[in-house]
Amino acid sequence: MQTEQPSTKQRQGVSPWMMGGAFLLLAGFLVFIWLGLQRAQAGPAVVGQPAPDFELTTFDGQTLRSEELRGKVIVLNFWASWCDPCAEEAAFLEQAWQRYVRREDVIFVGVAYVDSETEAKRYLAQHQVSYPNGPDLRTVISQAYRIRGVPETYVIDKNGRLTYIKIGPFVSVQEIVQVVDAALQ
Amino acid sequence: MLPEVGYGALLVAFLVAVYGILSSLMAVWRNSATWLRSALSAMRLTWPLITASLACLLILLVQGDFQVSYVYNTTSRSMPLYLKLTALWGGQAGSLLFWGWLMAGFASLAALRNWERDRELLPWVIVVTLTTLAFFVGMVLFSADSNPFVRFWQNRSGQPLAPAMFRSADMLPLVPWDGRGLSPLLRHPGMIMHPPMLYLGFVSFVIPYAFAMAALITGRNDVRWIRITRRWTLVAWLFLSLGLVLGMRWAYDVLGWGGYWGWDPVEVAALNPWLSGTAFLHSVMLQEKRGLFKRWNVFLIAITYGLVIYGTFLTRSGVFSSVHAFAQSDLGPAFFVFIAVMAIASLGLIFYRWEALRSEGQLTALFSRETVFLLNNFVFMSILAVCFWGINYPLLSELVTGQKVTMGPPFYESTVGPLLALLFLLMGIAPLTAWGRSTWKMLRRSVWRPALLAFLLVVALFLGGVRQPGALLGFGLAALVGFVTVYEYGRAAWMRHRTQGESALLALWQLAVRNRRRYGGYLIHLGVVLMSLGVIGIEFFQSETQGLLRPGESLEVAGYRLTYRSLAQFDVPDGRNVTRAVVGVEKNGRFLGEVYPRRDYYYEAQQPMTIPGLRSTMEDDVYVILVSWQPITEDGATFKVYHNPLVNWLWVGALVFLVGSLVAIWPESGNVVKSA
Repeated sequence: MQTEQPSTKQRQGVSPWMMGGAFLLLAGFLVFIWLGLQRAQAGPAVVGQPAPDFELTTFDGQTLRSEELRGKVIVLNFWASWCDPCAEEAAFLEQAWQRYVRREDVIFVGVAYVDSETEAKRYLAQHQVSYPNGPDLRTVISQAYRIRGVPETYVIDKNGRLTYIKIGPFVSVQEIVQVVDAALQ
Repeated sequence: MLPEVGYGALLVAFLVAVYGILSSLMAVWRNSATWLRSALSAMRLTWPLITASLACLLILLVQGDFQVSYVYNTTSRSMPLYLKLTALWGGQAGSLLFWGWLMAGFASLAALRNWERDRELLPWVIVVTLTTLAFFVGMVLFSADSNPFVRFWQNRSGQPLAPAMFRSADMLPLVPWDGRGLSPLLRHPGMIMHPPMLYLGFVSFVIPYAFAMAALITGRNDVRWIRITRRWTLVAWLFLSLGLVLGMRWAYDVLGWGGYWGWDPVEVAALNPWLSGTAFLHSVMLQEKRGLFKRWNVFLIAITYGLVIYGTFLTRSGVFSSVHAFAQSDLGPAFFVFIAVMAIASLGLIFYRWEALRSEGQLTALFSRETVFLLNNFVFMSILAVCFWGINYPLLSELVTGQKVTMGPPFYESTVGPLLALLFLLMGIAPLTAWGRSTWKMLRRSVWRPALLAFLLVVALFLGGVRQPGALLGFGLAALVGFVTVYEYGRAAWMRHRTQGESALLALWQLAVRNRRRYGGYLIHLGVVLMSLGVIGIEFFQSETQGLLRPGESLEVAGYRLTYRSLAQFDVPDGRNVTRAVVGVEKNGRFLGEVYPRRDYYYEAQQPMTIPGLRSTMEDDVYVILVSWQPITEDGATFKVYHNPLVNWLWVGALVFLVGSLVAIWPESGNVVKSA
């Protein structure tokens, strides 16, 4: 194997300042992406911990902020019009919502994940969903909750703490009522 | 059985790759041809092994084996066959496997070339390529989130257990009746081609990168690695370009906002390596012809490949928020280590060979083809800096302030726009400059005709009613580049016609055949000019309107009158219910034809699809959507209409671009004298 011998002359080429500067810049960049990664990896959605804050503009143009909803139990449901299991639980969610609709201390919020507005609105009309729903623009909320897919539901108590996480669809109205009632206590 | 076979084949491929790396190092250490041959065989073997694994996953997807978590998450019973196949890249795990398969394909292809002249590079090319491959395959094998063969299990009392690859005692298979299905945004024919093209572009950059690193390690700092990889780089760059354009077409057809580019962070992350790759394609010519910028070229190829990996990291680690991004995964730390090792090694090697990479020649004049190329590189790198900042700033601001700020289209448009104008100016000048030394007088003599034509065109447009300064500047620069390119090509053909007596057509053909790189490059420039017409059309002249119409009523946009005539709803034999509106299109009182926006409802999949009615000409597109969340009845329906001037030139330009790239890539035939 023919290899050129690195002579001392070759190494004189780069000034130590330049080399140091370049590696320092690289190190800084690596630290930066490491910190970004740490932040992205931190799993904020843990039962018993404060739930991540969110802001959602609904399809009707109303803005919901989690801090303004303090004092209410929030049922945060992630769904998509293309997701068949979501369609299965849609009726249960709506029926459960009808039980609490007159109470001031419970709110259901639907978040449409990776969906087009057209299809999402059609889905809502088809399943006669009456609680507020909006698109998760740039998937900010679903990232904050680190969802793995749809449907997923997060129940947040009056103090903003996460009390229940449901991965996959609810299979009955009773199941939803149980977890909401538990959060109300 | 199939999941075990797929996983097993992949595990063997991983071990073979690791073996290939070790035997390559042995070959260097012992100076042994036997070890080297063995390493080469290992590199060739990876592709068939990963192909077997991929085939297993495809069969599982097509069969709809919902016990497999990946199949459950990306397909459903009602999906047609072609969508089940595209589900291969519809999720994190499958697309990583697909990525590894493509990379192994390129590695095997590189292993098949004739290595006689470049034996000293071979072991290091193998080490770099197989290390990258082993990294990607390793992630699929050892990360819980990215193994596509993981299955669902339950215990004897029917409680679901955590998904796992292998079955242990007391575990029973848990087979869901149906899967979650694929997002409808991905259910489009464009998705068949867009991701594979982009991945091909990304992955194939590994070959020039591996050669560059091998050249640095062995100290073979001549132009050889560039000559060998020139075609590889062009192929990689062409796939990346096609991937980007197909993504634009997909956005135009599916996302329904009448545009094609949204400056989504993932789009920008894919554009970044294209920018540095394009700079590289230009700047290698300086090294080949004049021995200049050796350091810069190695740096550029390293940066390009680094950006490919960094973009993949951002998309797949959950750091980004975007419609393109995959959900959270545990890949981040592994990716981070890979990026760190790659960056430190590349930078270290460049510094190690710093002196040997000194330019052989010098810039001999302030104004020459070399300096114009240098400026071109500077502008490409400036655009890259803007785009790099654009995707990283949100992360930075989140770290510092806790608030995630997103950089939207206004940021990019205001910063990239002027740089693009400068780039077009350079594109117009470059073909008219000479290598070594050029003079302003020479430039003036050749540029005045194309420049005058471009100026006349701008005046004509102004008199025709175009008043936006940005649009006039854009058209003027595009025209300058177009006229210069045609003028240069025409002038050379005219010379051949005069001196060799060839017919005009033959002269044009001969020129392209004899200097494929130059005239392929000119065709690419022409393609870019045509594409820029589409960009200017949408950026400056797009208009839209929306309204609820009763039959007989009209909407007006950009001089067009669209009249809602009738609506029909009917079933078609392939299981669709079609709601189809008939909309008459008139301009200045003249009837031009009808468009038929539809909403197709797929009974089996319970999926509606909105299909625009499109009247597409080279002048403009009228793009009509039946707004389907409002009731659609014979008495009234809501329509959204976009008027997109010149947008078709974008796709025509892309075709010219493709032809130009193929001309440049096509191997020169043996008996043709190579000229610059």
